[in-house]
Amino acid sequence: MKTINSEHHLDLTKKDEKVYSTLNLGPTHPATHGIFQNILTMNGETIVHAEQTIGYIHRAFEKIAERRPYYQITTLTDRLNYCSSPINNIGWHLAVEKLLGVETNKRIDYMRIIVMELARIADHLICNSVIGVDSGALTGFVYVFEQREKIYEIYEELCGARLTTNLGRVGGFERDFSVGAIRKIKELLVDLPKILHQFENLLMRNRIFMDRTIGVGSISSERALNYSFTGPCLRATGIDYDVRVQEPYCSYNDFDFVIPVGQHGDTYDRFCVRQTEIWESIKLITNALDNLPEGKFNVEVPAFYLPNKEDVYSKMEPLIGHFKMVMGEIDVPKKEIYKAVEGANGELGFYVVADGGRSPYRLHFRRPGFIYYQAYPEMITDSSLSDAILTMSSMNVIAGELDA
Amino acid sequence: MENNELFQNLHTQFHESILLEETNHDIFTLVVEASSIKSVIAFLKDHENFIFLTDLCGIHYPDSDLELGVIYHLHNLVENKRVRIKTFVPKATPHLDSIVEIFSGANWMERETFDFYGIIFVGHPKLERILNVEYMNYHPMLKEYPLEDATRSDKDDAFFGR
Repeated sequence: MKTINSEHHLDLTKKDEKVYSTLNLGPTHPATHGIFQNILTMNGETIVHAEQTIGYIHRAFEKIAERRPYYQITTLTDRLNYCSSPINNIGWHLAVEKLLGVETNKRIDYMRIIVMELARIADHLICNSVIGVDSGALTGFVYVFEQREKIYEIYEELCGARLTTNLGRVGGFERDFSVGAIRKIKELLVDLPKILHQFENLLMRNRIFMDRTIGVGSISSERALNYSFTGPCLRATGIDYDVRVQEPYCSYNDFDFVIPVGQHGDTYDRFCVRQTEIWESIKLITNALDNLPEGKFNVEVPAFYLPNKEDVYSKMEPLIGHFKMVMGEIDVPKKEIYKAVEGANGELGFYVVADGGRSPYRLHFRRPGFIYYQAYPEMITDSSLSDAILTMSSMNVIAGELDA
Repeated sequence: MENNELFQNLHTQFHESILLEETNHDIFTLVVEASSIKSVIAFLKDHENFIFLTDLCGIHYPDSDLELGVIYHLHNLVENKRVRIKTFVPKATPHLDSIVEIFSGANWMERETFDFYGIIFVGHPKLERILNVEYMNYHPMLKEYPLEDATRSDKDDAFFGR
């Protein structure tokens, strides 16, 4: 933790003979939803300067990954942006599949789209409802969290876990969607739009909410690009960059969906972009579920996809294969790849340098939150403290993603 | 624009300091001499539309003469084309020009690379550790620091069963 009387504050205090006060926001402040420290230099109610400290939950994922077999790294990706773990999981599986040169069939692609869009909805619901909470409207939060709970129940049907899902496998899924899972997805597709309409009625054209968010924490498209923004934060400034369209993966190009953009890059625009993305995700899930092709839920990736449990118990070769896979004694080709997916917060990239061994020589996660959070001081300078809190929630900074 | 054309443009500008990587996986990859990295990236941004810095990270090859590397991923958003740029420095003098002036987003990425690999970015506004504690006196991602062997038995830890 940084001490609050560091050098530059003294410099600032000397400048133009004004008396500035220093405010230590965090590391554990109830309004920041995570462990971030911000040392703010305040002129009355106005923020003059902010200095961030991050890294409180750094867990050395990149170092750990250099020892682990590829399939065990999935559990590390769970803990990046833990509000939308399935996107991270599937992103990593896609990266390994690219490394191994595996092609998946349409059924797997569509199943993955359904799961990833559910995760995107869950993530956006958290972010947008928390913007409401931080601007004083608690009601909407309670409504949409019931829907988020339903999405977590769908995860439970799919993989048994709720938050850190470890969903799917390299080469597809561990099992097909169950009848219960499909029923729950269909129920969600009926219930969620009703709640979303109510939620939007509460906030979207609410005078108080608009006054609190329009023009707050805005950034121009030039600055956002210069800061390597991606995801809803970039799209709110008016740039329609989305990995799902620019470099389609998982057959996203089979579907018709809109990439919403904002104009001013402020908190209200980020809110609206996320809100519209939820509607687009609902559309995508509906289409993918209606057109779900027949086929297997996994492709044969002999060295990576665990054999059937019954075969493992009764036959020799599957048993050997199972043992080798679990012990991670599987070599991958010597290759270097970069694979990006559109995470809920932006471009989630995996840069893998494989030297032919059982684990990556180097694995780097491009975490969108880590990259755009550095623009935070620039976005909150000259605004009030309460606006700074709103700006942070609208950027959806997740500590797990920030600190890796 | 074709990869060859891009390489030719860079070659006319920077001559021998640009090399093509032989094993060209996935993304068009160039190896650039450490001394000209900043001007190459500025050239790519200003003249070739690579206006977006996707990623910047370090890498360590202990067996090579130039042990430490930095890998830049740039994105040409106009033509939707990516390029990967690698540059290597010796471990004794791990100095590289900072590109924060060109891309503000490189600020934390360079701090992270310094934190984990000890690469010194000359001209960086605030080159301090970012994810690790300030008083740490080594750079943990270097290959000489292996992770603890999960099967070691010399530790006596009654709480965690080892």
